[in-house]
Amino acid sequence: MTVEQRRKLENLTALVLSTLAAAFGLFWLIFILGDVLVHGIGALNADLFLSDPAPPGIEGGGLRNAFVGQIMITFFATLIGVPIGVLGGTFLAEYARGTRFARIISVLSDIMVSVPSIVIGTFIYALLVRPLGHFSGWAGSIALAVIMIPVVLRTTEDMLSLVPWTLREAAFALGAPYYKVIMKVVYRGAATGILTGVLLSIARVAGETAPLLFTSFNNNFFSWDMNGPVASLTVTVFQYAMGPFEEWHTQAWAASLLITLFILAITILGRAIIKWRYRS
Amino acid sequence: MQILLAAALTASLVLPFATVHAAEKLNGAGASFPYPVYSAWAYSYNKATGVRLNYQSIGSGGGQRQISARTVDFGASDAPLTPAKLKKHNLLQFPAVIGGVTPVVNIPGLQAGQLKLDASTFCSIFLGKIAYWDDAMVRKANPALQLPHKKITVVHRSDGSGTTAIFTHYLSETCPAWKTTVGEGKAVQWPKGIGGKGNEGVANYVKRTKYSIGYVEYAYAKQSKLAHTRLRNRSGSFVEPNFETFSDAAKTANFNSKRHFHLWLTNAPGKKSWPIAGATFILLAKEKKVVNRKTVQFFDWAFKNGDKTAQRLVYIPLPAALKNKVRAYWKSQGI
Amino acid sequence: MGITLRKDPIDLFFSAVTAVAACSVIAIILGIVFVLIRESSLAIGKFGFFAFLTSTDWNPVTESFGAATTIFGTIVTTVLALVIAVPTAIGIAIFVTEVAPDFLKGPIGIAIELLAAIPSIIYGMWGLFTLAPIMANHIEPALQSTVGRLPLIGILFEGTPMGIDLFTASVILSIMIIPFTASIARDSFNLTPAVVKESAYGIGATKWEVVKNIVLPYSKVGVFGGVVLSLGRALGETMAVAFVLGNSHKITSSLLDAAATITVTLANEFTEADSDVYLSSLFYLALVLFLMSFIVLAIAKFFLLRAEKRYGR
Repeated sequence: MTVEQRRKLENLTALVLSTLAAAFGLFWLIFILGDVLVHGIGALNADLFLSDPAPPGIEGGGLRNAFVGQIMITFFATLIGVPIGVLGGTFLAEYARGTRFARIISVLSDIMVSVPSIVIGTFIYALLVRPLGHFSGWAGSIALAVIMIPVVLRTTEDMLSLVPWTLREAAFALGAPYYKVIMKVVYRGAATGILTGVLLSIARVAGETAPLLFTSFNNNFFSWDMNGPVASLTVTVFQYAMGPFEEWHTQAWAASLLITLFILAITILGRAIIKWRYRS
Repeated sequence: MQILLAAALTASLVLPFATVHAAEKLNGAGASFPYPVYSAWAYSYNKATGVRLNYQSIGSGGGQRQISARTVDFGASDAPLTPAKLKKHNLLQFPAVIGGVTPVVNIPGLQAGQLKLDASTFCSIFLGKIAYWDDAMVRKANPALQLPHKKITVVHRSDGSGTTAIFTHYLSETCPAWKTTVGEGKAVQWPKGIGGKGNEGVANYVKRTKYSIGYVEYAYAKQSKLAHTRLRNRSGSFVEPNFETFSDAAKTANFNSKRHFHLWLTNAPGKKSWPIAGATFILLAKEKKVVNRKTVQFFDWAFKNGDKTAQRLVYIPLPAALKNKVRAYWKSQGI
Repeated sequence: MGITLRKDPIDLFFSAVTAVAACSVIAIILGIVFVLIRESSLAIGKFGFFAFLTSTDWNPVTESFGAATTIFGTIVTTVLALVIAVPTAIGIAIFVTEVAPDFLKGPIGIAIELLAAIPSIIYGMWGLFTLAPIMANHIEPALQSTVGRLPLIGILFEGTPMGIDLFTASVILSIMIIPFTASIARDSFNLTPAVVKESAYGIGATKWEVVKNIVLPYSKVGVFGGVVLSLGRALGETMAVAFVLGNSHKITSSLLDAAATITVTLANEFTEADSDVYLSSLFYLALVLFLMSFIVLAIAKFFLLRAEKRYGR
């Protein structure tokens, strides 16, 4: 074999291997999504959304409690986490721009984004559940908010930094105080970016199970009461999939399908917005 | 601080809204052993009275922990707490229903009730001393069965469990080797096997793993269509787990309300007694009078109306005399 | 910059509010460390530090607890997952940046990122219902009859293939971290200046030679950072492994045995621990996990920052 041939062969092997790697990745995506789709679609029915769980052995029943619970927990988590994240990001990108302090917080947030979510669950249990004497939807929302804050904070910081400094200078020249410049000029310029960050952070927490196990716990009944245990789809999937009953498995697949679709839809929406807005 | 503040703020905004919808609610958690019957009772109780009794199956250890930490309205445990422990955590305890722990196996081709096990064989399997299904000890009790030369996969509980407590109490009583090497408790250091979460998890793993053996509450074995085994009881006969053998074991029980009904039902002497029977208990926080009254109302209702449901799920309702003993106990504790 | 403009009282107030919000991140980190240390103090006092980390006990009956078995499970699943995921992820990154035709680059990139968006509970459930039986019936017996026969390595594949074991858990974990590693590797590859690549192509280098001699050396710091980041992610993953690991507190030599990770132990036992020492030991495990992943993630961040600084964005 000549050097030429060897080089070509080596090149071909490497390219084939890399193609196979991509195929391998795609294979899992299609396998998992396809499996969830096939099992989940067959399990969808109106009862799933309209009725509450029936005990094992009794026909029918649905997951209305878990749908509503999941929405409540995520909603309040967003309500708590997003303002703190956006304001914190504002501080880093505006008032503290370029300072060492901002750098440190930024790095710490990046680390917090990947910290094990189950640890957050134990933290909130010790902080809110045990001292207050009951599991609660609030504890669940706050646990999710703690996960959201660094995500939103970092995207906000990045998005605000993308707004050209000259725009702010123009506003300063008109005599506007900084907070007005931020509200009227910077936020406006970065609105879509911040929204995307919020969307992606919702996608991040909506599928979380581990931090809810010890905080919002679970509830077999429909409940609006955020002061008590609240059902969530993810915890229900954990309970049902681990259980031995066929009806539970079917409902777990249906719930999985809906969670997955919801999260993928938000993720794709977020990506689409980024692409559309920040096409450079 | 931030978070707490924000939470408090949002709470104050939403609370009025939430309380409008608040129906009567009770939160209980604990043993997975009686979960099928409690949730069935709660389902009917909700239809009858509108009260929502949310019972979560998290294991008996969890039931004891969460009621001791006062994070739930009542706890449930299959392992009775000793009067000393109850006193320490300021708890009350009473039995709610009786059931049986059943060995379940997954051997392709083997029907429910075909496999017979005596205590020492059973114990050796869980100790890991018997590794294959066609071991001489297993074959001795089952001369007619074709047992495969396959490794046994032991499935046990991963969580703090009253089912485990009853099960290991039985093994410790009947098998000296178990008592000295492993001991009894809601969670033990298992010599071998894989751990499933809750009765649900064990049933699921046994169902999905060929040549496995596990132990679950009978209702789980039945509802998830697993093959149970027969066991040799104290009087020497091989018995099937069913309503009759559980009742027979329950008959021998002499519950004492002075000791908060602390009693084990394993290895009962009756000829037809199932050897791993057990009562399952409710734990109340002594100082929470109002909540306790509501909880007790539920169980009083279940004692009156729930026997059929319990029987359908193969739990033994408490005998009438014991029910009255429990009611008297409630009264004596000022509930 | 803007800081000099702070004269307006409202502005002062607003800046203070944002500063407090920014500090919440520090407050959370310190809060976690403080609370976890406080809660685990009982176990720390009883078992010490090194003794806890090295003890293989996990015995609720005698109330003797150690972290060695769960740390073992955590590290084995993580390392094995990386062994599978890293080459795949780098392959994907090479494919997306250099090999794929332009019209495929975008869609495949997005598809791989979607893989990262699927919640971990879905991975776990799919793993239990779909992957575990396939593993038990096909892949694991196949491995046993091939690599399992080899000396030395064979010991890794002893036992009954159950599908609920370290191996299955690692495979699921690897699928989960492929997208993280791949997207960071891709971004690092893209930092290679086009001029350098083009001049290499100009002198007749093949695609692989460009990747091997130009792109990989140029981006190695970033790729390494990405690998460490995935490691940090994998350490803390709970739900994807909780279903298929089998929760057994044991150090085993075979990958076909059940084991437990710190995360799975917390998920299973946290609400159910009955004694104070038991619960405190679980908090102790949480603390160990938090410190482990925090350190790993900090190292990852260090490398990623260095890569960024060196090549500029």
